[in-house]
Amino acid sequence: MERREQEEDEERRHLRGRGIVLPAWPTVDGPLGLSPEESVAYARRFFRWGFALLPWLWAVNCIYFWPVLRARPSDFPAFSPLTHLRPYVLRSAIGFTVFTVLLSIWALTFMIGGKPLFGSVWDDLVMYNVADKLGLTGWY
Amino acid sequence: MAETLEEPPTLLSTIGEEIIRIIAPVSACMLLVVLLVSVLSSSSSSDAPPTIVFSADSETGSSTWDKLKDALLSSIAFVATVTLLTFLLVLLFYFRCTSFLKYYMAFSSFIVLAILGGEITLFLIDKFSIPVDSVTFFILLFNFSVVGVMAVFLSRMAIVITQSYLVLIGVLVAYWFTMLPEWTTWALLIAMALYDLAAVLLPGGPLRLLVELAMSRDEEIPALVYEARPVDQHTASNRRIWRSSGVSSNGDLVQESLPETRLVVAEEAVVSEVTAPLISSANVDHHRQENSVDGIGLGESGAIKLGLGDFIFYSVLVGRAALYDFMTVYACYLAIIAGLGITLLLLAFYRRALPALPVSILLGVLFYVLTRVLLEMFVVQCSTNLLMF
Repeated sequence: MERREQEEDEERRHLRGRGIVLPAWPTVDGPLGLSPEESVAYARRFFRWGFALLPWLWAVNCIYFWPVLRARPSDFPAFSPLTHLRPYVLRSAIGFTVFTVLLSIWALTFMIGGKPLFGSVWDDLVMYNVADKLGLTGWY
Repeated sequence: MAETLEEPPTLLSTIGEEIIRIIAPVSACMLLVVLLVSVLSSSSSSDAPPTIVFSADSETGSSTWDKLKDALLSSIAFVATVTLLTFLLVLLFYFRCTSFLKYYMAFSSFIVLAILGGEITLFLIDKFSIPVDSVTFFILLFNFSVVGVMAVFLSRMAIVITQSYLVLIGVLVAYWFTMLPEWTTWALLIAMALYDLAAVLLPGGPLRLLVELAMSRDEEIPALVYEARPVDQHTASNRRIWRSSGVSSNGDLVQESLPETRLVVAEEAVVSEVTAPLISSANVDHHRQENSVDGIGLGESGAIKLGLGDFIFYSVLVGRAALYDFMTVYACYLAIIAGLGITLLLLAFYRRALPALPVSILLGVLFYVLTRVLLEMFVVQCSTNLLMF
């Protein structure tokens, strides 16, 4: 009796210590968002569309399914659709991080390196010159 | 251990939070427009008149009467176009071309976000000489607009993302409207306020027809509408409520009002945006949760919906006030918020779709005129004589 109570207490303390609630609702909107069953299709769709040069879509995917990302796989009840959901969200997070790192490397090199690094190509690539050349800012 | 009885929540217990949840995005929209206007127009910018506007303003030496005449003509032309397009919308909705409307809405959001948003970003890049390269710029713009279209188009998306994108669309369109000549802007605002009043409240008005059609069919109108997050009536039983998409609540509820739509013609491209000028609130169902079976209850919690057209015209008013001075901005902001509060109270009383423009716009214009004519002189004289302020 006592030992069982101790085990239960320990488990409760364990869960409370991690501060994680079992995600009854997989989305950050809670009861207003998607149900666990619908979420898998959504996450998969967002993940696949993100490959069309859309890292921001991957980030939105992670934001939307944030509770799933935070919880550990062992928290999910067995046979819940959330176990299929989590790989997509995880891969979206990884994809977003990788793409952001690569893009920032390129953008920062361009900004900081400037003309001394690139030569005359810098003038051809910088946005305000491109806009002038294409006549994008003249017609308001 | 007796359980504490929950009193039935009154109107007053949640109205504060509901009002805040609609005033916060309106204020954010106005703030962004004021910032953009004050940053991008510090130099004397010549307002090149857009295509559908008659303009004598940019010519120097035109009399006040000429400007007024052109302003009135432009605003009447605009209102006539909007009326025609709204009737067209009612017709399309009547013939159940809902998918066409949704695609059109997605297309116009894409145009606004990509083209107008891109232009404004280019202005900012020009102004601050930010050395961003074209590859990064196009990738970021592409991401921004595509995700924005998905946020507007898909019915289930993170609420935060959808709300932010709607506010941004409002900011972008409002900024472009502030580029109109001054008299035209004011005439346009007053004309739209009067049109809104007529279109929603008159029995033959297009918006009223749209609302009644949508109510009789129990459908939602495809429109750009900002929906505030519903306030929890019972925080404890919140987990049991699963909001069913689009299904109206059963039985004996008070009538459910749905938003209405109005097409706003943007000036450069002849692209219409489907926006809704009204405030309406879905029902607040207080007692339904007690009848829930097995802890699962179906119900729709009340949420205030404000059309994006309202965001746009409020921001246009404040943006135009910002082109004069910040004093007028503060006065107009307070007037608009007061008008919005009055409209929300009226909404709570009448519980039907109401026009959100007239009260706020008319108060805003009144305060702008009073501030510019009377208050400014008073404040400046007091300050320069070190009397007050």
